[in-house]
Amino acid sequence: MAEPRVDRERQDDAQDSGESAGERKRFALDDTGFDEVPKKYRKFYRKWGGPEDPLAPNEVLCPVCKVVIRSPRELRPGDRVYCMACMARMVVVLGEDGRLEAEVVY
Amino acid sequence: MSDDLPDLHVLDPDEFIRRVHSFEHWFEAVEGYLGDLEHGHRSDLEPSELPADEREELVSILCNYSVAETAALEASGGLIRIAPNQHCKIFLSTQVVDEGRHIEVVHGRLEELGVEDPEAEVERRASQSIRDFHDKLLALVDAREWDSAIFAQNVILEAMEFTVFAAHIERADPVTRDCLERMLRDERRHIGFGENELGRRLRADPRRRRWIKAVKEELDPLVLATFEQTLAELKMPRWDRPELGRSYLNAVQRLGLV
Repeated sequence: MAEPRVDRERQDDAQDSGESAGERKRFALDDTGFDEVPKKYRKFYRKWGGPEDPLAPNEVLCPVCKVVIRSPRELRPGDRVYCMACMARMVVVLGEDGRLEAEVVY
Repeated sequence: MSDDLPDLHVLDPDEFIRRVHSFEHWFEAVEGYLGDLEHGHRSDLEPSELPADEREELVSILCNYSVAETAALEASGGLIRIAPNQHCKIFLSTQVVDEGRHIEVVHGRLEELGVEDPEAEVERRASQSIRDFHDKLLALVDAREWDSAIFAQNVILEAMEFTVFAAHIERADPVTRDCLERMLRDERRHIGFGENELGRRLRADPRRRRWIKAVKEELDPLVLATFEQTLAELKMPRWDRPELGRSYLNAVQRLGLV
């Protein structure tokens, strides 16, 4: 299979922002049984349990289809995330309540 | 670098769009939840005997679902011809397959409930509001109104189905619940496609908003009437219903259509 094209600028930004210095926590992602995306991407998502389901620092809720998007690193405002379940592109923002939210980018 | 990405979110945005609109992506996505089924549900689930009044209500609800799914099937197929690019054509071809499957599942469930001729039953029971929506959606497709038809189908109709299915799942018998949970997974893709496609086009030309708002004003009452009827049949308390419409209202707000 052909190599996936990655966004080098985004990767460089992540490294410049201190990721290499260990400022961001890293997370090992496991498959939680989310079966709506191809097998190789399942670890990046999990089902949302509703308002009582707390999100980890590496997680954000997709506002379009209400699936939890997971990243292998702690998320911060300005990070880009993808929801493969509904094919939305998003940027992480700080919500009014101080929690991280995802804002759809068209 | 192997295809097993350490971080999916570093993917180039164009590469992401190309991947998720492919038939390959669709096939790998649905194989997780559509294998080993019988009539769209797990084969080890025994259809339970429903009380007569509950069966009657369920048959009526499924008849409305059938018309909604038929509208989406026929419109998706027609939209392939006028789609502005190859990505959209390919995605819609996957939606056609999804919608055809949904009709098959709904009719299979009607047969399990003892309905001998599902097509005739749908004709007899489906509400006028969802039939009118079907006709108006196809008129938009026939008029080659891409933006308006995608809004009507993938934002209005799909949002209603997503919300109603989610509410129905909470109250359904195990077989119906299993069917709906699998259909709901498909609906996520349809909703996301519609919102993202429209969002990109509205960003490129905000003047399109005016036409879509007109379609929204015309079709909203029909969808709301169907929505209300189905939720009433599901015995959903009236005070819970505004919350259920929130996903549609949020989508409309994100697209700047309020």
